[in-house]
Amino acid sequence: MNPLRFTAGEPAVEITRITPGLWHALDDDQVTGRGEAITRPDGRVFLSVDAWHRSVFDQLARTMLTSLPEPLHTVADETDHELVAGWRRAGMTIRRREWEYVVPTDPRVTGPAVPPPGVTIESADDGPLHELDRVIRAEVEETVGWQEMPAEVMVRPAGDASMYTVAVENGQYVGLVRVVQLTRLPRIGLIAVRAARQRRGIARALLTHALGVLHQAGIESASAEVNETNVAATALFEGIGARRATSTVELVHHGL
Amino acid sequence: MASKGGIEVEGTVIECLRDARFTVELPNGHHVLAHISGKIRKNFIKILPYDRVLVELSPYDLNRARILFRYRN
Repeated sequence: MNPLRFTAGEPAVEITRITPGLWHALDDDQVTGRGEAITRPDGRVFLSVDAWHRSVFDQLARTMLTSLPEPLHTVADETDHELVAGWRRAGMTIRRREWEYVVPTDPRVTGPAVPPPGVTIESADDGPLHELDRVIRAEVEETVGWQEMPAEVMVRPAGDASMYTVAVENGQYVGLVRVVQLTRLPRIGLIAVRAARQRRGIARALLTHALGVLHQAGIESASAEVNETNVAATALFEGIGARRATSTVELVHHGL
Repeated sequence: MASKGGIEVEGTVIECLRDARFTVELPNGHHVLAHISGKIRKNFIKILPYDRVLVELSPYDLNRARILFRYRN
Protein backbone atom coordinates (compact mmCIF):
# COMPACT_ATOMS: atom_id res chain seq x y z
CA MET A 1 0.00 0.00 0.00
CA ASN A 2 1.37 3.35 -0.99
CA PRO A 3 1.33 5.57 2.11
CA LEU A 4 1.78 8.74 0.11
CA ARG A 5 -1.05 10.70 -1.40
CA PHE A 6 1.10 12.47 -3.94
CA THR A 7 2.80 10.35 -6.55
CA ALA A 8 5.79 10.61 -8.81
CA GLY A 9 5.52 11.07 -12.56
CA GLU A 10 3.73 14.34 -12.07
CA PRO A 11 1.75 15.82 -14.95
CA ALA A 12 2.21 19.19 -16.55
CA VAL A 13 -0.99 21.07 -15.82
CA GLU A 14 -2.62 24.33 -16.68
CA ILE A 15 -4.34 26.22 -13.88
CA THR A 16 -7.61 27.87 -14.88
CA ARG A 17 -9.86 30.06 -12.76
CA ILE A 18 -13.38 28.79 -13.41
CA THR A 19 -15.27 31.13 -11.05
CA PRO A 20 -14.09 33.73 -8.51
CA GLY A 21 -13.78 30.93 -5.93
CA LEU A 22 -12.89 27.88 -8.04
CA TRP A 23 -9.71 26.85 -9.87
CA HIS A 24 -9.09 23.74 -11.96
CA ALA A 25 -5.79 22.09 -12.79
CA LEU A 26 -6.14 20.65 -16.29
CA ASP A 27 -4.02 17.84 -17.66
CA ASP A 28 -4.92 17.37 -21.30
CA ASP A 29 -8.48 18.57 -20.59
CA GLN A 30 -8.83 16.27 -17.57
CA VAL A 31 -9.45 17.95 -14.21
CA THR A 32 -6.64 16.63 -12.05
CA GLY A 33 -6.92 19.15 -9.26
CA ARG A 34 -9.32 21.67 -7.77
CA GLY A 35 -8.86 24.66 -5.57
CA GLU A 36 -11.72 26.37 -3.78
CA ALA A 37 -12.07 29.52 -1.72
CA ILE A 38 -15.08 30.15 0.47
CA THR A 39 -15.89 33.11 2.69
CA ARG A 40 -16.99 32.25 6.21
CA PRO A 41 -19.77 34.23 7.91
CA ASP A 42 -17.12 36.14 9.88
CA GLY A 43 -15.51 37.33 6.62
CA ARG A 44 -12.44 35.10 6.64
CA VAL A 45 -11.59 33.34 3.38
CA PHE A 46 -10.73 29.64 3.64
CA LEU A 47 -8.93 27.73 0.90
CA SER A 48 -8.86 24.06 0.02
CA VAL A 49 -6.97 22.14 -2.63
CA ASP A 50 -7.65 18.63 -3.90
CA ALA A 51 -4.90 17.22 -6.08
CA TRP A 52 -3.40 13.83 -6.81
CA HIS A 53 0.13 15.17 -7.26
CA ARG A 54 2.35 17.31 -5.10
CA SER A 55 3.31 19.64 -7.94
CA VAL A 56 -0.35 20.20 -8.84
CA PHE A 57 -1.16 20.98 -5.23
CA ASP A 58 1.70 23.46 -5.12
CA GLN A 59 0.66 25.17 -8.36
CA LEU A 60 -2.97 25.48 -7.30
CA ALA A 61 -2.03 26.78 -3.85
CA ARG A 62 0.43 29.31 -5.27
CA THR A 63 -2.08 30.53 -7.85
CA MET A 64 -4.84 30.98 -5.28
CA LEU A 65 -2.57 32.70 -2.78
CA THR A 66 -1.43 35.23 -5.36
CA SER A 67 -4.96 35.83 -6.69
CA LEU A 68 -6.85 36.55 -3.49
CA PRO A 69 -6.56 39.32 -0.89
CA GLU A 70 -4.75 38.45 2.34
CA PRO A 71 -5.06 37.07 4.90
CA LEU A 72 -6.08 33.62 3.67
CA HIS A 73 -6.85 30.63 5.86
CA THR A 74 -7.16 26.89 5.64
CA VAL A 75 -7.76 24.00 8.00
CA ALA A 76 -6.16 20.58 8.17
CA ASP A 77 -6.24 17.51 10.34
CA GLU A 78 -2.93 17.72 12.14
CA THR A 79 -2.22 14.04 11.49
CA ASP A 80 -2.49 14.68 7.74
CA HIS A 81 1.22 15.45 7.51
CA GLU A 82 1.29 15.69 3.72
CA LEU A 83 -1.46 18.28 3.62
CA VAL A 84 0.04 20.37 6.42
CA ALA A 85 3.43 20.17 4.70
CA GLY A 86 1.86 21.27 1.42
CA TRP A 87 0.37 24.38 2.95
CA ARG A 88 3.64 25.12 4.76
CA ARG A 89 5.45 24.92 1.41
CA ALA A 90 2.97 27.50 0.16
CA GLY A 91 3.99 29.83 2.98
CA MET A 92 1.20 29.23 5.46
CA THR A 93 1.82 29.06 9.18
CA ILE A 94 -0.21 27.48 11.97
CA ARG A 95 -2.31 30.10 13.72
CA ARG A 96 -4.39 28.02 16.10
CA ARG A 97 -5.20 24.47 17.08
CA GLU A 98 -8.47 22.84 18.08
CA TRP A 99 -8.67 19.56 19.90
CA GLU A 100 -11.49 17.22 19.10
CA TYR A 101 -12.73 15.61 22.27
CA VAL A 102 -14.68 12.41 22.63
CA VAL A 103 -17.16 13.24 25.37
CA PRO A 104 -18.82 10.53 27.48
CA THR A 105 -22.55 10.84 28.09
CA ASP A 106 -22.93 8.54 31.09
CA PRO A 107 -23.88 10.60 34.18
CA ARG A 108 -21.82 8.20 36.29
CA VAL A 109 -18.78 9.59 34.44
CA THR A 110 -19.79 13.18 33.72
CA GLY A 111 -21.39 13.78 37.11
CA PRO A 112 -24.91 15.04 37.80
CA ALA A 113 -26.42 18.06 36.08
CA VAL A 114 -26.81 20.35 39.08
CA PRO A 115 -27.24 24.04 38.21
CA PRO A 116 -26.38 26.72 40.78
CA PRO A 117 -29.20 28.00 43.04
CA GLY A 118 -31.78 30.04 41.13
CA VAL A 119 -30.84 28.61 37.74
CA THR A 120 -32.91 26.04 35.86
CA ILE A 121 -32.09 24.04 32.74
CA GLU A 122 -34.87 24.11 30.16
CA SER A 123 -35.66 23.58 26.50
CA ALA A 124 -35.38 26.72 24.36
CA ASP A 125 -37.95 29.01 22.74
CA ASP A 126 -37.06 30.87 19.55
CA GLY A 127 -37.48 34.49 20.65
CA PRO A 128 -35.39 34.59 23.83
CA LEU A 129 -32.91 32.14 22.27
CA HIS A 130 -32.16 34.56 19.45
CA GLU A 131 -31.79 37.41 21.93
CA LEU A 132 -29.37 35.38 24.06
CA ASP A 133 -27.42 34.38 20.97
CA ARG A 134 -27.13 38.04 19.93
CA VAL A 135 -25.96 39.14 23.37
CA ILE A 136 -23.42 36.34 23.72
CA ARG A 137 -22.00 37.00 20.27
CA ALA A 138 -21.55 40.66 21.10
CA GLU A 139 -19.80 39.75 24.35
CA VAL A 140 -17.48 37.32 22.60
CA GLU A 141 -16.71 39.81 19.83
CA GLU A 142 -15.72 42.42 22.43
CA THR A 143 -13.30 40.00 24.06
CA VAL A 144 -11.51 37.21 22.20
CA GLY A 145 -13.54 37.55 18.98
CA TRP A 146 -15.38 34.88 17.03
CA GLN A 147 -12.23 34.08 15.10
CA GLU A 148 -10.99 32.29 18.20
CA MET A 149 -14.15 30.24 18.46
CA PRO A 150 -14.62 26.86 16.81
CA ALA A 151 -14.70 27.30 13.08
CA GLU A 152 -18.20 26.04 12.55
CA VAL A 153 -19.89 28.80 14.53
CA MET A 154 -22.81 30.13 12.53
CA VAL A 155 -23.90 33.72 12.00
CA ARG A 156 -27.26 33.13 13.65
CA PRO A 157 -28.58 30.27 15.75
CA ALA A 158 -28.30 27.33 13.40
CA GLY A 159 -31.11 24.85 13.11
CA ASP A 160 -34.29 24.96 15.14
CA ALA A 161 -34.66 25.69 18.82
CA SER A 162 -35.04 21.99 19.62
CA MET A 163 -31.28 21.62 19.16
CA TYR A 164 -30.71 23.96 22.10
CA THR A 165 -30.93 23.66 25.86
CA VAL A 166 -30.80 26.86 27.87
CA ALA A 167 -30.04 27.97 31.41
CA VAL A 168 -32.64 30.33 32.86
CA GLU A 169 -32.21 32.71 35.79
CA ASN A 170 -34.85 35.21 36.95
CA GLY A 171 -36.80 34.51 33.76
CA GLN A 172 -33.84 35.35 31.51
CA TYR A 173 -31.82 33.04 29.30
CA VAL A 174 -28.23 33.20 30.54
CA GLY A 175 -26.57 30.25 28.80
CA LEU A 176 -27.05 27.79 25.98
CA VAL A 177 -25.77 24.52 24.58
CA ARG A 178 -26.42 23.26 21.05
CA VAL A 179 -26.29 19.56 20.26
CA VAL A 180 -26.13 18.65 16.58
CA GLN A 181 -27.14 15.08 15.84
CA LEU A 182 -26.73 14.46 12.13
CA THR A 183 -24.67 11.30 12.51
CA ARG A 184 -24.14 8.49 14.99
CA LEU A 185 -21.70 10.77 16.81
CA PRO A 186 -23.53 13.89 18.03
CA ARG A 187 -21.56 17.12 18.27
CA ILE A 188 -21.58 19.71 21.00
CA GLY A 189 -21.85 22.53 18.49
CA LEU A 190 -21.76 25.46 20.89
CA ILE A 191 -21.81 26.06 24.61
CA ALA A 192 -21.83 29.58 26.02
CA VAL A 193 -22.82 31.48 29.15
CA ARG A 194 -23.28 35.23 29.49
CA ALA A 195 -20.12 36.91 30.73
CA ALA A 196 -21.60 38.14 34.02
CA ARG A 197 -22.91 34.65 34.89
CA GLN A 198 -19.78 32.65 34.26
CA ARG A 199 -17.73 30.70 36.83
CA ARG A 200 -20.82 29.48 38.67
CA GLY A 201 -21.15 26.01 37.15
CA ILE A 202 -23.85 26.92 34.62
CA ALA A 203 -21.90 25.61 31.62
CA ARG A 204 -21.18 22.33 33.36
CA ALA A 205 -24.84 21.92 34.30
CA LEU A 206 -25.91 22.66 30.70
CA LEU A 207 -23.39 20.26 29.28
CA THR A 208 -24.06 17.36 31.64
CA HIS A 209 -27.81 17.81 31.16
CA ALA A 210 -27.47 17.67 27.36
CA LEU A 211 -25.18 14.66 27.58
CA GLY A 212 -27.60 12.94 29.95
CA VAL A 213 -30.37 13.30 27.37
CA LEU A 214 -28.13 11.63 24.80
CA HIS A 215 -27.32 8.85 27.26
CA GLN A 216 -31.02 8.17 27.82
CA ALA A 217 -31.36 7.81 24.05
CA GLY A 218 -28.69 5.09 24.09
CA ILE A 219 -25.82 7.24 22.78
CA GLU A 220 -22.57 6.62 24.61
CA SER A 221 -20.41 9.51 23.41
CA ALA A 222 -20.42 12.84 21.60
CA SER A 223 -17.74 15.02 20.06
CA ALA A 224 -16.66 18.59 20.67
CA GLU A 225 -13.95 20.90 19.33
CA VAL A 226 -12.08 23.11 21.78
CA ASN A 227 -9.49 25.77 21.03
CA GLU A 228 -6.33 24.72 22.86
CA THR A 229 -5.90 28.23 24.30
CA ASN A 230 -9.40 28.23 25.79
CA VAL A 231 -8.47 27.18 29.31
CA ALA A 232 -12.01 27.33 30.69
CA ALA A 233 -13.48 25.16 27.93
CA THR A 234 -10.62 22.68 28.18
CA ALA A 235 -11.14 22.39 31.93
CA LEU A 236 -14.89 22.02 31.44
CA PHE A 237 -14.62 19.12 29.00
CA GLU A 238 -11.73 17.35 30.68
CA GLY A 239 -13.52 17.77 34.01
CA ILE A 240 -16.40 15.61 32.81
CA GLY A 241 -14.16 12.87 31.49
CA ALA A 242 -13.73 13.93 27.86
CA ARG A 243 -10.53 12.75 26.17
CA ARG A 244 -8.59 14.21 23.26
CA ALA A 245 -8.90 12.29 19.99
CA THR A 246 -7.52 14.37 17.11
CA SER A 247 -6.54 17.94 16.44
CA THR A 248 -7.30 20.36 13.66
CA VAL A 249 -5.00 23.23 12.81
CA GLU A 250 -5.92 26.49 11.16
CA LEU A 251 -3.16 27.88 8.96
CA VAL A 252 -2.93 31.44 7.74
CA HIS A 253 -1.09 33.24 4.97
CA HIS A 254 -0.37 36.91 5.52
CA GLY A 255 1.28 37.74 2.22
CA LEU A 256 4.00 36.66 -0.15
CA MET B 1 -14.66 22.35 -22.02
CA ALA B 2 -12.70 20.21 -19.59
CA SER B 3 -14.01 16.77 -18.73
CA LYS B 4 -14.62 15.75 -15.17
CA GLY B 5 -11.97 14.24 -12.93
CA GLY B 6 -11.92 10.64 -11.75
CA ILE B 7 -14.72 8.10 -11.62
CA GLU B 8 -17.23 8.65 -8.82
CA VAL B 9 -18.64 5.67 -6.95
CA GLU B 10 -20.41 5.01 -3.66
CA GLY B 11 -18.71 3.04 -0.95
CA THR B 12 -18.70 2.23 2.75
CA VAL B 13 -16.01 3.31 5.20
CA ILE B 14 -14.69 0.23 6.93
CA GLU B 15 -11.70 1.64 8.78
CA CYS B 16 -10.35 5.00 9.95
CA LEU B 17 -6.57 4.98 9.60
CA ARG B 18 -3.89 7.29 10.86
CA ASP B 19 -2.92 10.35 8.86
CA ALA B 20 -6.57 11.23 8.24
CA ARG B 21 -7.06 8.39 5.78
CA PHE B 22 -9.78 5.79 5.44
CA THR B 23 -10.30 2.37 3.95
CA VAL B 24 -13.42 2.39 1.80
CA GLU B 25 -15.09 -0.70 0.41
CA LEU B 26 -16.64 -0.31 -3.03
CA PRO B 27 -19.75 -2.22 -4.18
CA ASN B 28 -17.55 -4.69 -6.09
CA GLY B 29 -15.70 -5.54 -2.88
CA HIS B 30 -12.56 -3.64 -3.86
CA HIS B 31 -10.90 -1.65 -1.07
CA VAL B 32 -9.41 1.78 -1.72
CA LEU B 33 -7.32 4.09 0.41
CA ALA B 34 -9.16 7.40 0.65
CA HIS B 35 -8.60 10.82 2.12
CA ILE B 36 -11.21 13.51 2.55
CA SER B 37 -11.85 16.31 0.11
CA GLY B 38 -11.12 19.90 0.98
CA LYS B 39 -14.82 20.72 1.07
CA ILE B 40 -15.48 18.05 3.71
CA ARG B 41 -12.46 19.25 5.68
CA LYS B 42 -13.55 22.89 5.57
CA ASN B 43 -17.00 21.95 6.81
CA PHE B 44 -15.65 19.81 9.66
CA ILE B 45 -17.67 16.79 8.55
CA LYS B 46 -16.68 13.72 10.54
CA ILE B 47 -16.23 10.41 8.78
CA LEU B 48 -16.87 7.29 10.85
CA PRO B 49 -16.73 3.55 10.15
CA TYR B 50 -19.84 2.28 8.36
CA ASP B 51 -20.57 5.72 6.87
CA ARG B 52 -21.78 5.56 3.27
CA VAL B 53 -19.71 7.91 1.16
CA LEU B 54 -19.25 9.06 -2.42
CA VAL B 55 -15.64 8.74 -3.53
CA GLU B 56 -13.74 9.88 -6.59
CA LEU B 57 -11.19 7.32 -7.75
CA SER B 58 -7.79 8.60 -8.73
CA PRO B 59 -7.28 8.46 -12.50
CA TYR B 60 -3.63 7.65 -11.77
CA ASP B 61 -4.10 4.86 -9.23
CA LEU B 62 -7.39 2.99 -8.80
CA ASN B 63 -6.38 1.98 -5.29
CA ARG B 64 -6.63 5.56 -4.13
CA ALA B 65 -9.66 7.80 -3.77
CA ARG B 66 -10.99 11.02 -2.34
CA ILE B 67 -14.14 11.17 -0.22
CA LEU B 68 -16.41 13.79 -1.78
CA PHE B 69 -19.60 13.35 0.20
CA ARG B 70 -20.88 11.57 3.28
CA TYR B 71 -24.48 10.41 3.11
CA ARG B 72 -26.70 10.83 6.12
CA ASN B 73 -27.30 7.52 7.82
